[in-house]
Amino acid sequence: MNGESVVFWVSGTFAVVGALGMVVSKKAVHSALWVAFAMVNIAVLYFALEAPFLGTTQIIVYTGAVMMLFLFVLMIVGVDSSDSLLETIKGQRLLASLFALTFGGVIVASIASTLSSPSAGLAIANAGYGGHLQAIGFLVFGTYLFAFEALSALLITAALGAMVLAHNERWTPRKTQDQLQKERTFSNHVTPLPAPGVLARNNSVDTPALLPDGTTSIESLPNAFRGEGQVSKSNSIEEAGK
Amino acid sequence: MGQGNVYLPIFFLGLLAFGFAVFSVAAASFTGPKRYNRAKVDAYECGIQPAQAQLGGGRFPVKYYITAMLFIIFDIEIVFLYPWAVSFDALGLFGLIEMIIFILTVLVAYAFVWRRGGLEWD
Amino acid sequence: MFHSQAQGDLGIFGNDPAAVIAVKVLGIFVIMVLMTLLTIWAERRVVGRMQMRIGPNRVGPFGLLQSLMDGIKLALKEEIIPKGAHLAVYVIAPVIAATTAFLTFAVIPLGPQVSIFGTVTPLQLTDFPVSVLYVLAIASVGIYGIVLAGWSSGSIYPLLGGLRSSAQMISYEIAMGLSFVAVFLYAQSMSTSQIVAAQEPMWYIVLLLPSFIIYTTAMVGETNRAPFDLPEAEGELVGGFHTEYSSLKFALFFLAEYVNMVTVSALATTLFLGGWRAPWPISLWDQANVGWWPMLWFFGKVFAFIFVFIWLRGTLPRLRYDQFMKFGWKVLIPVSIVWILIVSVARYLRNEGGLESRNLLFAASAVLVVVVLVSYTLDLRRKKSDEAEEQRIAIEAEQEFDPFAGGFPVPPMPGQVAQPSRRMKATISSGAPASHTPAETTEGN
Repeated sequence: MNGESVVFWVSGTFAVVGALGMVVSKKAVHSALWVAFAMVNIAVLYFALEAPFLGTTQIIVYTGAVMMLFLFVLMIVGVDSSDSLLETIKGQRLLASLFALTFGGVIVASIASTLSSPSAGLAIANAGYGGHLQAIGFLVFGTYLFAFEALSALLITAALGAMVLAHNERWTPRKTQDQLQKERTFSNHVTPLPAPGVLARNNSVDTPALLPDGTTSIESLPNAFRGEGQVSKSNSIEEAGK
Repeated sequence: MGQGNVYLPIFFLGLLAFGFAVFSVAAASFTGPKRYNRAKVDAYECGIQPAQAQLGGGRFPVKYYITAMLFIIFDIEIVFLYPWAVSFDALGLFGLIEMIIFILTVLVAYAFVWRRGGLEWD
Repeated sequence: MFHSQAQGDLGIFGNDPAAVIAVKVLGIFVIMVLMTLLTIWAERRVVGRMQMRIGPNRVGPFGLLQSLMDGIKLALKEEIIPKGAHLAVYVIAPVIAATTAFLTFAVIPLGPQVSIFGTVTPLQLTDFPVSVLYVLAIASVGIYGIVLAGWSSGSIYPLLGGLRSSAQMISYEIAMGLSFVAVFLYAQSMSTSQIVAAQEPMWYIVLLLPSFIIYTTAMVGETNRAPFDLPEAEGELVGGFHTEYSSLKFALFFLAEYVNMVTVSALATTLFLGGWRAPWPISLWDQANVGWWPMLWFFGKVFAFIFVFIWLRGTLPRLRYDQFMKFGWKVLIPVSIVWILIVSVARYLRNEGGLESRNLLFAASAVLVVVVLVSYTLDLRRKKSDEAEEQRIAIEAEQEFDPFAGGFPVPPMPGQVAQPSRRMKATISSGAPASHTPAETTEGN
């Protein structure tokens, strides 16, 4: 066995393990990590196939950017949430297996078609360009020019989508630090508001702070609790302290 | 170019670094003392009792999503810029013009996000 | 036919016998560890001087062994694994951080070809056509160490710190990646040894000054160092992503941070300061760029960068997060894109008309710097005039209650009266505004 096939069998196995781990993992973050692992191993395969540019790009774009986005999303929606197994789309399994079969068929067919004809080899493919980077440059910016320029439109779509999904527009301009400071200085409350009553035995924001005269300070509470009947009573705190 | 095993040294360096890191992580549990204390293994929250419930439902600003998405967009742009830069002399005026068009198109997305306040953090 | 500047042959790499590879691998590993120990020591001593202190000077001559002793001390500390940690990921995270930190140094050229054990070999572990991209790729895997450390600790501060620092690193990675483009354009190569070879007539710091400035700014952000050390903003986030790490696991993160510092400095040296080439007065000596001497120039330049890192830390206060992101996204990125356009046009003119693009580039850098400065001052002045306007508005706001002041639903300010909503009417029986409700009324409930 030469070096290349050793790399293939090791990294290929790791990539498959990563893919399986992604499916099997219960926690979404673990799934994302398995995918990242599989991606890195696929990049190693590219290196072994003498395509270092593709390999580094694979890591930079997929492992570094796309999977990072996935991790961010998982953290945004709550880090520990596991997948809901409830199927909301009718015939989901049937459709999924249909697509999977079709996709598998396409892959098998395309690999089979390359097997039937002898491969030209990298040296011939790169000949006349002076290296595979130059060859990539020449192909992307020459032969596949239209696809390349269309991609920029795709990138705009991605930005639009992200903004539509995740952007919360401000209604009014943001206050500067300076402005906030001035407002506070001219208000009746220069000092910070009293902290809620986090006492040794009570660790809750719905407990008002006790003022020196024994009364409670409503200002120590978040706005949501300032209504009637939402606040722990100071009497009960005092009684508990006795 | 006769480059058979340029990646082999990287593999060995990685192996050495990985071995060192794993050794350190493993050694830590032997070299240090073990004195159990319930408060010690609690999450650190500046003396306040840790609220475990927050972690599960704890949510983060969706802002990070836009940052990550923009990062992908620019990453892809950069990945195209590299082979273009390397074969710039060969591509000539044609390559220059098409890259300018590409950059300007991506800048449309950038300008849109900027204008709508997607780059603001508060 | 497409190699306009065929300097440096990559064929010299990958032919080393096993013994030489072993020596090089070990050498790089030892150098990195030594550099880390030295950098930590230098940092403490230099920052000490800058703060009118002496700094550690007890262990060994000039306190040189201080960081080694600190490492041993860390190893003898108890290893605490927090209750809520996800054990597997928690353990893997520091391993990822440390391994990737070491890996990036593999492609940095330390010198020209020398003879080791009778084998003529370049003073560089390895090189291939995309080695600068390899550095970027490994660095982007390294971010995982930080995100995972934050996530797996099962604690709020590390999680916030990890998320924040990964957002910071990806933001500055773009500026960093864009700053490479001009270098690639002029070197017509992405391999480190060829880039060093291409700088023989002139270092790129002279030719591509804006790229250099962008890169150095981005590298400080990328390594989470002051003034961009927001992930470790101790006033807000305690220790950031490594709050819950102790003992040798913490030491690994610390090691990774300093190794990364050395690596980005080495990359800056390679890309912009001519790599191992001797600086001007020394380069007149004809033995300056042969044999083992270049290693000295190389590490001299790296230490110059490290000194700047330390200097920054001793001088600048930490940025606020929004200022930091604003700087990355709204200044560094547009400036680098404009600069790339300028460079490519200049390069094209040189190729076509045989025009001396050097002068053009110098002029363009000057113009770019002026534009940035002018836009900065304009921004400041606009802010000034905005401030006067805002002050007027603020005074008005004191009389009239704005339920959406600052863009969010807010309660009335003291002295303001809210128009009670239906919900407020239901919860507050008395007619007084919420903030003025005496606390006693809630008691009699």
